[in-house]
Amino acid sequence: MRDLMGDLTGRIRHRRVNATEGILAGIILLYCVMVAAVNPAFLSVETLFDIVRSSSTAVIVGMGLLLVMLSGGIDVSFMSIALFGSYVAAYAMIRLKIDSLAFAFAVSIGLGTILGLVNALLVNWLNLPPFIVTLGTQNLFHGVMTTFISDKTFGAGVIPSALSKFGSATLFTLKTRQGVMGLTAAVIPMSIAVLLTWFIVSHTLVGRGVVAMGNSPESARRAGFNLLKLRLFAYGYIGALSAVMGVVYISQVNAVYPNKLVGSELMIIAGAVIGGVKDTGGRGKVLGVILGITIIYLLNSTLIFLGLSSSWNNFFVGTLLVASVGVTSWQNRRKNRKNLLFTE
Amino acid sequence: MSNLVLQARALSKKFVGVQALDKVSLGIETGTIHCLAGENGSGKSTFVKTISGLYQPDEGDILLNGNVYTGLTPVQAMREGVQVIYQDLSLFPHMSLAENIALNRLRLSGAKIVDWKKIWRIAKEQTEKIGVDIDLNATAMETSMAGRQITAICRALSQDAKLLFMDEPTAALTRQEVDRLLKVVQELKNKGLSVVFISHKLDEIFRISDNITIFRDGKKIGDFASGQLDEKSLAYHMTGRDVRYPRYRRSLGDDTPLLQVKGLNKQGHYQDVSFQIRPGDILGLIGLLGSGRTEFALSLFGLNPPEEGVVVFEGETVRVASPVEANRLGIALLPEDRGSQGLFKERGIRENVTSTLLGRLASGFRALDREKEREIAEEGVKKLRIRAPGIETPVGTLSGGNAQKVVVAKWSAANPKLFIMDSPTVGIDIGSKAEIYEMVQSFARGGMAVLFITDELEELMCNCNRVLVMGNHRIIAELDENAMTQSDAERRIADLIGGSAGKEVEV
Repeated sequence: MRDLMGDLTGRIRHRRVNATEGILAGIILLYCVMVAAVNPAFLSVETLFDIVRSSSTAVIVGMGLLLVMLSGGIDVSFMSIALFGSYVAAYAMIRLKIDSLAFAFAVSIGLGTILGLVNALLVNWLNLPPFIVTLGTQNLFHGVMTTFISDKTFGAGVIPSALSKFGSATLFTLKTRQGVMGLTAAVIPMSIAVLLTWFIVSHTLVGRGVVAMGNSPESARRAGFNLLKLRLFAYGYIGALSAVMGVVYISQVNAVYPNKLVGSELMIIAGAVIGGVKDTGGRGKVLGVILGITIIYLLNSTLIFLGLSSSWNNFFVGTLLVASVGVTSWQNRRKNRKNLLFTE
Repeated sequence: MSNLVLQARALSKKFVGVQALDKVSLGIETGTIHCLAGENGSGKSTFVKTISGLYQPDEGDILLNGNVYTGLTPVQAMREGVQVIYQDLSLFPHMSLAENIALNRLRLSGAKIVDWKKIWRIAKEQTEKIGVDIDLNATAMETSMAGRQITAICRALSQDAKLLFMDEPTAALTRQEVDRLLKVVQELKNKGLSVVFISHKLDEIFRISDNITIFRDGKKIGDFASGQLDEKSLAYHMTGRDVRYPRYRRSLGDDTPLLQVKGLNKQGHYQDVSFQIRPGDILGLIGLLGSGRTEFALSLFGLNPPEEGVVVFEGETVRVASPVEANRLGIALLPEDRGSQGLFKERGIRENVTSTLLGRLASGFRALDREKEREIAEEGVKKLRIRAPGIETPVGTLSGGNAQKVVVAKWSAANPKLFIMDSPTVGIDIGSKAEIYEMVQSFARGGMAVLFITDELEELMCNCNRVLVMGNHRIIAELDENAMTQSDAERRIADLIGGSAGKEVEV
């Protein structure tokens, strides 16, 4: 009887976990309806393409972040890695007069992966919280770049044409009343990142190993997983995706600045947490991250339609973040109370 | 010799200064249930970890299925069919039971791609094999302790276990769940598996085992057939001395009640609870899990507040609405789950013991009185005979018995008037048990009132001068001092709990 009850509640709660994404999708839909009611101009292909373009970079690194957070870790150095990889790639292209997109991605991904592996090794050796380690490497990587490589800005005139072409490239175009607009080519790397991450997380043993480690490192070790290898994989993966994102980013802005990106990590992390990724590891979904990031970018780019200043953005994102972690904590507390655990 | 699945030969293992295993030789026969008995720190766990490949022995070798190893890796051990279910079960809380069962096998098979259909097939196969029905879709976190145990067993079976170690599998289970688990273990034996069972509960050891091996101080004391021993001789071999639990009698003259409870009610938790307790009383509270006893005890500590009723403490009507309030009145609680609720695991003994008196050790903005703090901690260590290298040793590294003594020391340092102890000796070896009993009884002789919640009749009988029996959320009987001295007291209580659950209870 006791077990039957346990099974029943288990089944019901299982649905509720899956419902996180449903709730987020509902919020997004409701919000869109609201904005459209205030300003019908919102409902256009242009807005959609615009949001996709602006959020594509975030989704790419968000996928890497998902893997690291699933492993029970965190990375706040990924923007620094993105900048490092893409800046060095662009710098090399300008100095060596190589005008190839493939070269840019190859150099950037190579560097990004190495820096990611450095993070993994440090986390493993120092045995310190990944937050502290990557906070350190965030500054370290950026410092190494600006001190030893270059701290010059390269504007639209000097940036290799392969990059600027990729940045403005579109997959297809639509003619609307406002003119011609296209869907950014950045959806290609974005889609690859999303599909690859989904496949890794749910269909490969290394992906399940990462999730297992995030659930319980000791149990994963006992199951025969090598924690160092899993860490190397997770941090290397976010390093590589950050590097991809860096190239997409400099292509889109059509310039290379030595001090952009770094410092905007927390928005992405906020998106992941809103999307239901557990900060203690072991739980999180690709779809959740996409929806979480979508909400943030949706707010970001629709405030104009509502006639609100951009400072409202922080207010909304903050509210959402606190609300989403608040709901989780409240659910836990209720469950604990039922089991006579008083943890607060 | 051919029917030995495992043969360990003269295994030795040393940790910084401690000889954890001292030339232990041991054979496990195929298709038997073999119990390892011994106190905490006697070397049982080290032995298990050496066989499962987590530790490398310093000397000696291990024969598994005819293959000789001087040291094993975890993967080698698993390939030889050695499976260990640790006390913490090593499950993945956010993963489904199906995946929990099958993941290790996939890992062992060297698969790179995860086939979910295969995961489900493996999981279903194992649950059917031992004839249990669990919701494979639910995550481990959503599953009852018994369900988690079953999951861990299925996981071991899915990896073709030939030799299954179970480390205190019944510690967190209710009586009915224990029965069910032991039945499953019997079933495994019938299927030809060898099960090595580690437990502190002597009655379970005798119920289930064919052979018993006793460890003490890293040495093997001997191998026995189950029938050769009884609880008394087993306890003697484990501790090396005759353990006799002291029997408590109240000697205080003052009969003014410290606490009076009248008609306490909380819908769905407990009903109409009334009793009183005097200084020097060790009032036993017994009843099956779900009888309402823990729910009620928590109420007295300011958690899970009652909806109706009166609480009179030292002659004044009080409303204990929070643990802070309880503390101020002088009420302490030793929680059932010391791991998560009673200790700061990563801090040393000193900080744990004095954590209840920080207010007294430092006033205003003055710094803590370190000297005083050390004194109190050292006194606690001495009085309770806590075995640890020093007072700065992190509590998380201590054995269960010693960790529990730290919890007792912590609360007794605050010198409470009423001490509520919820299952204070769960998972603790008999030697430490006796020491905790002595301590509790000396508190009571000093005038402390103790509300002693327990599942074990034996410890109820030796510690409590009065007993309340709970069943179906009510107090169904009260045995006063007189009744407790009658020779039939133990049987009466056993009948009462048995009756309230509609089930016979083995004593």
